[in-house]
Amino acid sequence: MRKILIAVFLSVVSALAFAQKAAAQQNNIGTCGWGAKLFDGQSGVAPQVLAVTTNGTSGNQTFGITTGTSGCTQDGVVRSTWKTAMFIDGNKERLARDMSIGNGETLDSLAHLIGVRQEDRAAFNRTVQANVSRIFASGSTTDQVVVALKEVLGSDRTLAQYAASI
Amino acid sequence: MSFPLRARWTLLCLLCLLAPSTASPATYLDELIGRSREQRLSERREWHRLMHYTSNLVTPGVHSLADARRFFLAPDGKTDPQSELEATLAAFFSDIVETDKEQNPQCAFIARYSWLDQQLRFDSARLPRQPCKRFRDWRETLNPQGVTLIFPAASLNNPSSMYGHTLLRVDAKDQDEKTRLLAYAINYAANTDETNGIAFAINGLIGGYPGMFSIMPYYLKVREYNDMENRDIWEYQLNLTPEETDRLLMHAWELGPIYFDYYFFDENCSYYLLELLEVARPDLDLTSPFRWWAIPSDTVREIVKQKGLVKNTVYRPSNATVIHYRLGLMSPDELALINPLARGTASTADRAFAALPPTSQARVLEVSHDYLSYLRATGRSPVEDPQELARKLLLERSRVAAGAEDPPVPVPPVRPDEGHGTSRVGIGGGRRDGLNFVELHGRPVYHDLMDPEGGYVPGAQIEFFDFAVRDYSRGVGVRVEDITPLKIVSIAPRNEFFQPLSWEIDVGWARRRLADGSEPLVFGVNGGPGLAWTVPDTLRSKTMIYGFLESTLQANTRLDKNYALGIGPAIGALIDLTGRWRAEPYARAQWFFAGDTDTPWAVGLKQRYTLERDWALRLDISRERQEKQSWNTVLLSLHHYF
Repeated sequence: MRKILIAVFLSVVSALAFAQKAAAQQNNIGTCGWGAKLFDGQSGVAPQVLAVTTNGTSGNQTFGITTGTSGCTQDGVVRSTWKTAMFIDGNKERLARDMSIGNGETLDSLAHLIGVRQEDRAAFNRTVQANVSRIFASGSTTDQVVVALKEVLGSDRTLAQYAASI
Repeated sequence: MSFPLRARWTLLCLLCLLAPSTASPATYLDELIGRSREQRLSERREWHRLMHYTSNLVTPGVHSLADARRFFLAPDGKTDPQSELEATLAAFFSDIVETDKEQNPQCAFIARYSWLDQQLRFDSARLPRQPCKRFRDWRETLNPQGVTLIFPAASLNNPSSMYGHTLLRVDAKDQDEKTRLLAYAINYAANTDETNGIAFAINGLIGGYPGMFSIMPYYLKVREYNDMENRDIWEYQLNLTPEETDRLLMHAWELGPIYFDYYFFDENCSYYLLELLEVARPDLDLTSPFRWWAIPSDTVREIVKQKGLVKNTVYRPSNATVIHYRLGLMSPDELALINPLARGTASTADRAFAALPPTSQARVLEVSHDYLSYLRATGRSPVEDPQELARKLLLERSRVAAGAEDPPVPVPPVRPDEGHGTSRVGIGGGRRDGLNFVELHGRPVYHDLMDPEGGYVPGAQIEFFDFAVRDYSRGVGVRVEDITPLKIVSIAPRNEFFQPLSWEIDVGWARRRLADGSEPLVFGVNGGPGLAWTVPDTLRSKTMIYGFLESTLQANTRLDKNYALGIGPAIGALIDLTGRWRAEPYARAQWFFAGDTDTPWAVGLKQRYTLERDWALRLDISRERQEKQSWNTVLLSLHHYF
């Protein structure tokens, strides 16, 4: 009996550890190795901007064509599992703005990305506008925004179908 | 060990069957090479485009602009098109299996494969076709429908983007104008982490950085240009057929791991995008005007010039442009709230805000938020935690029952490709200190504040190698009046929302009067910071007044102690009297306190009248004083841009 208990305990622990690891790998923008980083420390001073911008790109491989798998990208294009998280990460400020207004190009693009059908767009816009404080909670990371958006859509009867594709 | 006779025969026959198949690549290769020679494929324009061959400057023959060894399959492929073509055909027989790190040559050089296949009709039984899954997946993700040329306008405060930049966008089939953020951008850039602007400029001039192509979501570029650098973006949708678009993508794939030495002036971002377009449509000849320098706006102009190549243009104003426009539409009550809200010194509970109607509240909150973003992006965050303040403003906005307003910012009447030509020549005549003269002047690039402004960034002047030669009727004869290798002026008006610094620098030789009345060409460096304002209405007026504090260092053996160091103010105004007529009254004084001491000053009035896009009249009058001698100058000239 004791042995069985130990076995059950061990399997639960390992299952939990596995689940945690899986969760960390799934939709966790941090494992991509860029994203938020790209926008950190950008204070508009010319030399700083220069480092990542226009005619001077930093030497990383993320956006290299034919560089194989690198973080969230494959040969320079974003892997499909990361598409939504990446988009939210790269457009956080604009997205928060569009959601609070209930309209805008960035919001349209997000809706398109997660496949919101035309007839559900108005409901989608209304719902995110009403829940913008939840989706963009104080000081939240991209991962938290993704999870919160999923929850908000999931708790709406019409929009629940789209929560899965985030 | 002994085989039955029959078994031996079977084995022999098997060997017979195997033998031709091991020999076949060689013979089929020979056949392909033979046919390629017959058809003289290596002389074809398509092959030269794919290999980036360009004629040698002096010697006969060609060389490829690509500088990466791996781009060539033949040891002498950089200079020998035939040898490269044959080595390429041979490489297509490779049985390398594709992995995440390695590709079969058929896939790594997929544009070459595709073109040679079209010309030679490869027999897949004798030259097995590789699946090239990585390329297919990549292409499927891009889901291409067309290509758009992207032109973010110039940004004087970023030395690498003084003339603007160009990149390409691959528009996907399932997108429309509202979801273009999701498209991908193909960018050619110097691959460097250099943060020192001067080191960047020098290395950029001498080809010190490898230039590479990369691909990234377009939204990253829009955020970078529109939001972080506050540069307007122009989008030129191109009319490419699906085959042309495919060729472009296949070639971009080929160039993925390849570097070219990056030259700031000629082999730059814009030049290589033209080369990509030439691969897409081999009939196009876009690059030949740009052998010596390729200014992004000129390359855009060249593309627009091709009949039917551009089908539509879209203007994407920067965050600062949008804010500026919306501020200009606001009532005084609304305006008064923007700064306090964006800086966290007022709250939406205040009476001034609560008293506004909902549409007005929405407008105020949106602009305050955007203005806070602008302050953050330009490094002037007004509060400790701007993110939290931005969040608060947006939450308030989400509670206001008002629809989206977002008034469309009017598209500037003149697009960057429609502005005056970037080179200028002038002919004129006048009188200086009692002597008549005729003048010829030239300026290879690019724009000065008195040139017609349409299509250029207002208040931004960049000139390289401006020079003037005069023939004075008596006594002096023909002489060089001035040569200015570099002059940059950035005049940006300040108001209660925007507080940019203006600055200027010029380096060159100009005539300077000495005490004995002679006028040697004196080398000088001059520049300094300044401030500018628009008057009388800070948000809507276009008349600008400015003031600079200039420092000057002059050097010449004829000067006392061989040099002169001075400092002094310069003030002036830029006034558009009509759409065509601009006037600039100015005054400057210098106090040379070290070396050759003197207190020169000058006052004058410059005027320009635009005749048509590439023609303008200039009338400059001035009074100057140097070494206690004063004189007047008047110069009337005709400028032509090309």
